[in-house]
Amino acid sequence: MNRRIAVISTGCGIFMVDRAADPSALSRFDGLLPQRIAWPSPLRFVLYVAVAAFFIASIDGVDISLGELAGGVPSIGRMVGQMFPPDLHRIGPILLSLLETFQMAVVGTFFGVLFSLPLAVLAARSQTPHVIAYHVSRALISLFRTVPDLIWALVFVVAVGLGPFAGTLALMVDTMGFCGRFFAEAMEETDKGPQEALTALGATRLGKICCAVVPAALPSFVNTGLFSLEKATRASVVLGLVGAGGIGIELKVAMDLFNYDQAATMILCVFILVVAVEQASALLRRHII
Amino acid sequence: MSAAGITATAARRSPDAAAPPATVGTAAPAPVVTALSRRKELVVRGLVKGFPARGPVLMGVDFALLHGQSVALIGANGTGKSTFLRCCLRLTEPDSGSVRLLDTELNGLGATALRRLRARVGFVFQRHNLVPRLSALSNVLHGAQARHAGPRYWLHGLAPQSMREAAMHCLDQVGLADLARQRADSLSGGQSQRVAIARMLMQEPELVFADEPVASLDPSAGEEVMELFIDLMRRRRTTLLFTSHNLAHTVTYADRIVGLRDGRVALDESAHRCDIDGLRHLYG
Repeated sequence: MNRRIAVISTGCGIFMVDRAADPSALSRFDGLLPQRIAWPSPLRFVLYVAVAAFFIASIDGVDISLGELAGGVPSIGRMVGQMFPPDLHRIGPILLSLLETFQMAVVGTFFGVLFSLPLAVLAARSQTPHVIAYHVSRALISLFRTVPDLIWALVFVVAVGLGPFAGTLALMVDTMGFCGRFFAEAMEETDKGPQEALTALGATRLGKICCAVVPAALPSFVNTGLFSLEKATRASVVLGLVGAGGIGIELKVAMDLFNYDQAATMILCVFILVVAVEQASALLRRHII
Repeated sequence: MSAAGITATAARRSPDAAAPPATVGTAAPAPVVTALSRRKELVVRGLVKGFPARGPVLMGVDFALLHGQSVALIGANGTGKSTFLRCCLRLTEPDSGSVRLLDTELNGLGATALRRLRARVGFVFQRHNLVPRLSALSNVLHGAQARHAGPRYWLHGLAPQSMREAAMHCLDQVGLADLARQRADSLSGGQSQRVAIARMLMQEPELVFADEPVASLDPSAGEEVMELFIDLMRRRRTTLLFTSHNLAHTVTYADRIVGLRDGRVALDESAHRCDIDGLRHLYG
């Protein structure tokens, strides 16, 4: 006999219902069965419409023109054509500038990560000693993160003058904004058990942070720190455009003088450096984490 | 061990085995006359604690723990055994009532004084609560933070030689000296709980609380760890208050059994007067 058995899974268990014997068996779950597509509430619907309207207005606002894009393709082609073969006559000074760029990235990231740690402790809800310290540190991190690194570079060029020191300070502040937030979140997500065990045995707040929180969050710290180094290496190239040291200023001069073959050498050097840093950080990640 | 076996064991240990087993609901004081002259290490009066999601859990618990005693705290799930232990160290703040621990009133105690008081009390959790990425030795060394603060007690590599040796001695006492270098997250559940016990030994506590110390282990590892734990406590003559759902453990390892029901003490009896069947009524 071919009987139709329905298997119904509910929060209370799994039931087998003989639908031939009781065709109305499933109707008992009509009220419980979630809708296939849940319709949004009126408020949410209005929000979706507003977002879609803004997006359409934005397309109009940025003057998208496929004609201009098509007309610009030959210019790009001409520029790329002039870039090859790259001019290697100035490879020495270019490599020195590249080294300075990388040094800015390394030093800026190191101090950025270092200063992020205490900032993150204050900004982690579970670790902060006081609610005022929490709000102040969160506000600082937001400020560091939301102001672009190029603006920080301009600020520090005014403060300490042209050169790599301004760029290093800009990268440090940018790293503090980035790492401060992720370090704080990593600390908040750590297992509370070891911290409670140390609380129960009378450890100090600093002892708990250093013995239980930091070791647990270390993989996340390493990951975020290495990602910051990659980010800083890319950013340090651009900072030179505003006089904050590194290869950026060389690149700008080459582009302004239409020396595209020299610019190509610099772009290739930067590409190799960024790829090398990414590969090295991936290797470190695998090794440490 | 069977229930009958446990009853027989309890009877063999008992000097007054002929006395009738305790019945639930009569919270009579422990009839250990010699104990009355001993110092009270923990005195709890009218302890009340509730949670918004669960409602009242402890509704006026009175309890006293004498020096050298081993007391089992039992009761069904949700009766507040763990909450009671946590309130006794103010890991959870009680709503009302008083707790006097090692001759110090907990109410109104400042943060530093509370930390110093906690340092004198060992706590073994149901889950080992080790720091996973650190070695077994570093985890044991953390117990020294009860008496010493500073970076030298954070990692075994930084610690004074005497402390490293003391931590090794504690690991040796739980039979894990050969795993000192191993990371905590590579240890089995039983081994991890042994390391947690070694950390508690490193603390050199005057009194120990244990919240279902073997509940997360399989029965075989649980028996092994419980035997080791109790043996260490007895050899050191450390006062012990532990919670357990394993009634065989309570009648075997405790001098006195205290049962909680409906947020109050429903049983307080010398262990040798209890049998497992009688204790089951607490769970009814």
